Amino acid sequence: MKHSKPVVCPPLWWRLFAVWYRHMRVYTKNLFSNGLPPFLEPLLFLAGVGLGLGAYITQSMEGLSYLEFLGTGLLVTAAMFTAAFECSYGTFIRLEFDKVYDGMLAAPLTVNDLIVGEIIWAGTKGLFFSFAVLCILSIFGVIHLPYSLAAPLVGFLTGMMFAVISLLITSFVRTINQLNFYFTGFISPMFFFSGVVFPTSNLPHYIQPLVEIVPLTHSVRLVRAVCANHYGMIHLWDLFYIAAFILVIGFFAVRRLRGRMVS
Amino acid sequence: MADQKIITVENVSKTFPKVVAVNNLSFEVEAQTCFGCLGPNGAGKSTMMNIIYGKCTRDEKPASRMSIFGYDPKHQELQIKYLSGVVPQDNNLDDELNVIQNLMIYSKFYNIPDKLARERIAYLLDFLELGEKTNSRITELSGGMKRRLVIARALLNNPRLLILDEPTTGLDPQVRHLIWDKLRLLKKEGTTILLTTHYMEEAFQICDTVMIMHNGQRIIEGPPRDLLAKHIEKYVLELPDAATLHDKFHENMPDHARMERVQHGMRLFSNDYDYLKMLAGSMAGENYYLRQTNLEDVFLKTTGRGLNETQ
Repeated sequence: MKHSKPVVCPPLWWRLFAVWYRHMRVYTKNLFSNGLPPFLEPLLFLAGVGLGLGAYITQSMEGLSYLEFLGTGLLVTAAMFTAAFECSYGTFIRLEFDKVYDGMLAAPLTVNDLIVGEIIWAGTKGLFFSFAVLCILSIFGVIHLPYSLAAPLVGFLTGMMFAVISLLITSFVRTINQLNFYFTGFISPMFFFSGVVFPTSNLPHYIQPLVEIVPLTHSVRLVRAVCANHYGMIHLWDLFYIAAFILVIGFFAVRRLRGRMVS
Repeated sequence: MADQKIITVENVSKTFPKVVAVNNLSFEVEAQTCFGCLGPNGAGKSTMMNIIYGKCTRDEKPASRMSIFGYDPKHQELQIKYLSGVVPQDNNLDDELNVIQNLMIYSKFYNIPDKLARERIAYLLDFLELGEKTNSRITELSGGMKRRLVIARALLNNPRLLILDEPTTGLDPQVRHLIWDKLRLLKKEGTTILLTTHYMEEAFQICDTVMIMHNGQRIIEGPPRDLLAKHIEKYVLELPDAATLHDKFHENMPDHARMERVQHGMRLFSNDYDYLKMLAGSMAGENYYLRQTNLEDVFLKTTGRGLNETQ
């Protein structure tokens, strides 16, 4: 028997929004403990570098004072860390321990909706964390408005990039402790070797190609261009890299995770 | 609505790397009826439920056909899930949210407007006697409350088909009876119900049709009373400690009686109540229990008494 009148399911954009909304509600439920630390961390950084470390580093880096150099980098590393945690430990817990996805899949949602919605949510968190860093940095005059107001958009893209790669890694993980390797072996090194803490131009030649391959390099270069409002062709390449990374890695992440959610 | 098929399943199989969970299974569920799926653990009941709403994909071969409201879960899982409510085997509520938030967010998945959702949720919490728990955390709820909340969640979009995977396993008799009452009421209001259960009593109480599955296949199917009439004698005399009497009975067993050995004793099945009563009377000091047969006897007879490796 055919259903008498055609069924009108919620459209794709609504389903993605609904998944995003679920994550947003869970996150904002503990607004104080979830929302405050993103503002405290850059404060700590300012205190550490401004009062301590900064006095020893007098050389300018890529034409910026060290405080500004490191500060602009933090705009995207904050986004990286939050997205990476959300889509590795967070995702694994929802997948294996809490069975949240199983519950959601009983509603009119597909696995694709679930994962793409989650990637968009991780991007949103990246945007928010970048924004928090931006607030602190501009209050203390480290970076200058209004151009840097666009920096959280780079945070959004960075969040999406680290969401897709974290989801892909998580799809291979059998026990949650295996994720430690991901953070020690991939995320932490990236923090040091992507031009956040020091310019990569001084690294040995044979490491340079490697630097260009990892995703954070492109985020950092792009966000510094945004803050300085100074663009070149290379930033077009960065944008292209980011878009391609999200699409390609995202495609495989969805495919792999589908295998874990639908038998 | 009578005679309309809500679910049609033809020749569906599902093979996992190590086991054939569903093996060439076919069945139909008519509108406004309750269809119960019985079977030992590992019989393929849950897998079948999951295939119906797209949580599990069926094998490509052999050729099979499925229609739920005219939709095929392979390509149209969204339509099926939009028209159905699912109560999975695990409760999988969102522990990070409280009762009302769980339901409000779930109603977003169906795109129910907030105001309507609030009214519907108030009604459903009341219907399942959870009204006082509106703002409770999930972790504060008892097993029975969680189960009822999952049922409320499945009812949010006024489903025309309700799929329940072991809805009352592990619950106390009060909650179980409450859930049965509600399911009967829903059926009366026009909902079609598909459920799996391990409780024969449950199947007998609420199902119009029962299918007993074993090793992914259908063993028998029909209304519970018909299954009783067709597949088993009317009465059974249970002798739990009578192993020694076995030979004595074996020799002069009349045609209308059937004997089944169990670990230390035996069961004698017959349609002749007087005969069994006479036997029971002749047994000085022996423990015995003479009763009508029930669905559990049919179940054990058709699926065997021994355990298999998946149980």
